[in-house]
Amino acid sequence: MANYFNTLPLREQLNQLGVAEFMSNDEFADGVDALKGKKIVIVGCGAQGLNQGLNLRDSGLDISYALRKEAIEQKRDSWKNATDNNFKVGTYDELIPTADLVINLTPDKQHTSVINAVMPLMKQGATLSYSHGFNIVEEGMQIRKDITVIMVAPKCPGSEVRAEYVRGFGVPTLIAVHPENDPEGKGFDQAKAYCVGTGGHRAGVLNSSFVAEVKSDLMGEQTILCGLLQTGSILSFDKMIEKGIDAGYASKLVQYGVEVVTEALKHGGVTGMMDRLSNPAKIKAYKVAEELKQIMRPLFQKHQDDIMSGTFSRVMMEDWANGDANLLKWRAETGETAFEKTPAGDVKIGDQEYFDNYTLMVAFIKAGVELAFETMVEAGIQPESAYYESLHETPLIANTIARKKLFEMNRVISDTAEYGCYLFDQACKPLLGDFMKTVDTDLVGKNYNEGKDGSVDNQELVEINEAIRNHPVEIVGRKLRKAMTAMKAIKTA
Amino acid sequence: MALLNIENLFVHYGLKTVLHNLSFTINAGEGWVIRGESGSGKTTLGKAISGQLRSTGQLKIDFNPQSPLPAEVLFVESWYRFTNLEGDRNFYYQQRYNHYQRKDTSTVAHELEQYGKEHSLSNARLEELLTTLNYHEVLDEQLFEISSGEHKKLQLVKALWLQPQLLIIDQPYTGLDVRSRANLNTLLNQYTTAGGALLLISNDMELPECGTHFITLEAGRIVPADKALYLKEQIAKPLPTFLLSPPQYTSQDIISMHDVAVRYDEKYVLSDIHWQVKAGERWLLQGPNGSGKSTLLSLITADHPQAYANHITLFGVKRGDGESIWDIKKRIGLISPELHWYFDANATVSQSLASGFFDSNGQYQKLRYAQKQQLEELLKFLNLFDVRNELLTTLPLGKQRLALLGRTIIKNPQLLVLDEPCQGLDHQQTRYFNHLVDTISKNGVTIIYVGHFESQLPACLTHKLVLAQGKMVVNESY
Ligand SMILES: NC(=O)c1ccc[n+]([C@@H]2O[C@H](COP(=O)([O-])OP(=O)(O)OC[C@H]3O[C@@H](n4cnc5c(N)ncnc54)[C@H](OP(=O)(O)O)[C@@H]3O)[C@@H](O)[C@H]2O)c1
Ligand SMILES: [Mg+2]
Repeated sequence: MANYFNTLPLREQLNQLGVAEFMSNDEFADGVDALKGKKIVIVGCGAQGLNQGLNLRDSGLDISYALRKEAIEQKRDSWKNATDNNFKVGTYDELIPTADLVINLTPDKQHTSVINAVMPLMKQGATLSYSHGFNIVEEGMQIRKDITVIMVAPKCPGSEVRAEYVRGFGVPTLIAVHPENDPEGKGFDQAKAYCVGTGGHRAGVLNSSFVAEVKSDLMGEQTILCGLLQTGSILSFDKMIEKGIDAGYASKLVQYGVEVVTEALKHGGVTGMMDRLSNPAKIKAYKVAEELKQIMRPLFQKHQDDIMSGTFSRVMMEDWANGDANLLKWRAETGETAFEKTPAGDVKIGDQEYFDNYTLMVAFIKAGVELAFETMVEAGIQPESAYYESLHETPLIANTIARKKLFEMNRVISDTAEYGCYLFDQACKPLLGDFMKTVDTDLVGKNYNEGKDGSVDNQELVEINEAIRNHPVEIVGRKLRKAMTAMKAIKTA
Repeated sequence: MALLNIENLFVHYGLKTVLHNLSFTINAGEGWVIRGESGSGKTTLGKAISGQLRSTGQLKIDFNPQSPLPAEVLFVESWYRFTNLEGDRNFYYQQRYNHYQRKDTSTVAHELEQYGKEHSLSNARLEELLTTLNYHEVLDEQLFEISSGEHKKLQLVKALWLQPQLLIIDQPYTGLDVRSRANLNTLLNQYTTAGGALLLISNDMELPECGTHFITLEAGRIVPADKALYLKEQIAKPLPTFLLSPPQYTSQDIISMHDVAVRYDEKYVLSDIHWQVKAGERWLLQGPNGSGKSTLLSLITADHPQAYANHITLFGVKRGDGESIWDIKKRIGLISPELHWYFDANATVSQSLASGFFDSNGQYQKLRYAQKQQLEELLKFLNLFDVRNELLTTLPLGKQRLALLGRTIIKNPQLLVLDEPCQGLDHQQTRYFNHLVDTISKNGVTIIYVGHFESQLPACLTHKLVLAQGKMVVNESY
């Protein structure tokens, strides 16, 4: 199988990369009608599978689960999840031939083998859906021509997909139809109906493409989301230890700091996050972020280039074929860092203190979000997609770091994110070597405002405020956040 | 020597003085009861004594070094807040009905084991408490799976296991059934006999014999008991007009259950349920803690996945026939202790009421003109208009409950599901609320009301269903 994107002429590549249209509410007026009464069979009952299925059934749709034989025979968790919640469960042979819509929610790494097993059993004219386009775009999986191929990709973990639905809300979602597989022209209506069934239509939906989803998802996860948060956390911790800051304090500041800082990002974007700083600290963070952007831009560009050319997925798939040798080695190394091994101290750190004493992280996040966004947009991805894959998801990943540090964060994110995160981290740390020599405890570990008189140059402040507010990620972010009005506060430990 | 000596005690929140010049003395072995209406400062006093709040004036605690009880003060909060294993609290009230293999919170047994270790407590004493409070059955369950009454018991078991020299319990009876109350009172009597000093924060009437001293608070001051505001009648106002019109029934069969059962693994929490509810009937649902009441209701409110595996017809439509849960919810007004526990912490009073139009937890949609009018009428009717822009969670518990009650009636639904609606309300508020239910019921709304105490029920109820261990034991006209 050849990388699908690479088989396209440039014109078509640009065309598909550039799809991103924010959908208005009235486009969902038909509710779940397009799938009403249809047989929907979900393959896999894990994080996405179970929670999407619960929502779809509660929206009045007919859901059952096809699991692999071993899972049923051994009564694995996936089998229990489905049967305990009173879903019908069967083998591929039993259920797939009856399905009007087959939803593939197995791990991406397994998609080729799952599709090869499922596709021959699918009836003529049925629909196949994914929640991530890796298999179609990077592996170039060819789907039978009578089958319609769609994507409904919630931009949140499965547990959130369920929690927000029963609260009466939803999570932001990308939907798409694969242009090679829409023989009857019904794909878009079905994708919309499916999206309504999961509650996604209440929180903002992007009409996207498989290509745009994959290329932006990969870029976001390996640079700002996982890669930079990991590099920034480790460098910050090491710097504090080097400068004699209490290790327990340093560990707590780093572990929970990203969550508190990005909580502000979630509500008010980069502007809202920067506004949590005092004026002098804001000016400093701005300048540091500019410097960081200059240093890291070539690395962000390299990641984007490797993703576009298919190099990244080719190298990663070689590692899959090699029993994940690199991945497992790098994962183990993450578990051995000093930050990972130092438990968070039993000290109380107030909400504001995380900003005042961890201004360096604010600068890292500003630089990372803007760089990821700029690099994606330069590569032909629309600002809306770039926003979801950079700024929007940052607080979600930060949340997993606050819960259990980096090793666990890497374990729970997808295989592709984890692999890319390590590549980024390994390249980024040496790149920042000289920069980190200039960093002192006023930026990380102690209150930046301490011993400073708080005065700033009016004109400079005005200019910086404007630059922050008018960055393109802020402009598109304001629009999209308005659509996602209600946001829960994450509790500070 | 007195165990607790308070003289000229003040507590301030910012510029507001919430406790004014309190003075009293408590000795070992005494049982005290703090009464007063919601917002009068009862909980604040408890927190001040336990050192969780800053106070001025004298607050002296002299522990007795000779006492066998540990020299500690324990304040048991009216609400028990637990976190999942990752220290997070992002729960939703329907969560305990979904079945996941992954365990999110620890089990009751594990929680108790940790607690015992932390405080070096004896297992023999624990056994006694578990037996007296009839608590063995829930030991293997996860924290978010157990009912509100069972959570209350967990708090009580911990407190009475520790037996500190000074024990303050905020709302000790919330959610407890009749028998558990009596058992708790026995334990509280034993505790004071053993030399403990007990302070109960409660307006309840069924108190333990040891509760012989009373403090009545009004707006932060101690007042003589007979003068207290909470005993005065509330002035009845006319009902908002939108609540006068009868609900639009689409079917006379509101609920029809045939041989309904719910089980987790091998354990049945409901079985053999055959139940019919017709339009306009008003049912009382009763049963001891853990008898399956909330689970039964969750099948009606479309919150339980196992509804799909049962013969249940709601509003004339069989479950699983392609209806969405939102089609069902829009006909129901629901309040329950769990809904309150996990309610959106960022919602204002106004948003909390308004979310009843959409059956969401928190408000995510804009109101139409008529809805805004209805909201304002209802806020005024419930005396909540002045606090409409405050966060729900900053109000005293009783007022929060009132706001969520408002949420249930704001759309004038066909069916009101009131699961222990007066839990946390004092006597006066309970009577007021039940009077309200009686008044609304005249428009022909169907009601299911869960309440433990005969003396605290609305008068309008017409039928009664009683559960015991997941089975129906009474099903009759009332
Ligand atoms: N997690 C997220 O946050 C997220 C967000 C958006 C989109 N997605 C996408 O959603 C999809 C599913 O991800 P997930 O996180 O839900 O995965 P997951 O939790 O790991 O669940 C995977 C399920 O697939 C089954 N499975 C594993 N290997 C299989 C095989 N070889 N053949 C058949 N079934 C197999 C597993 O059950 P058994 O092992 O018991 O058979 C399990 O039920 C992916 O495409 C992912 O990119 C995920
Ligand atoms: Mg992603």
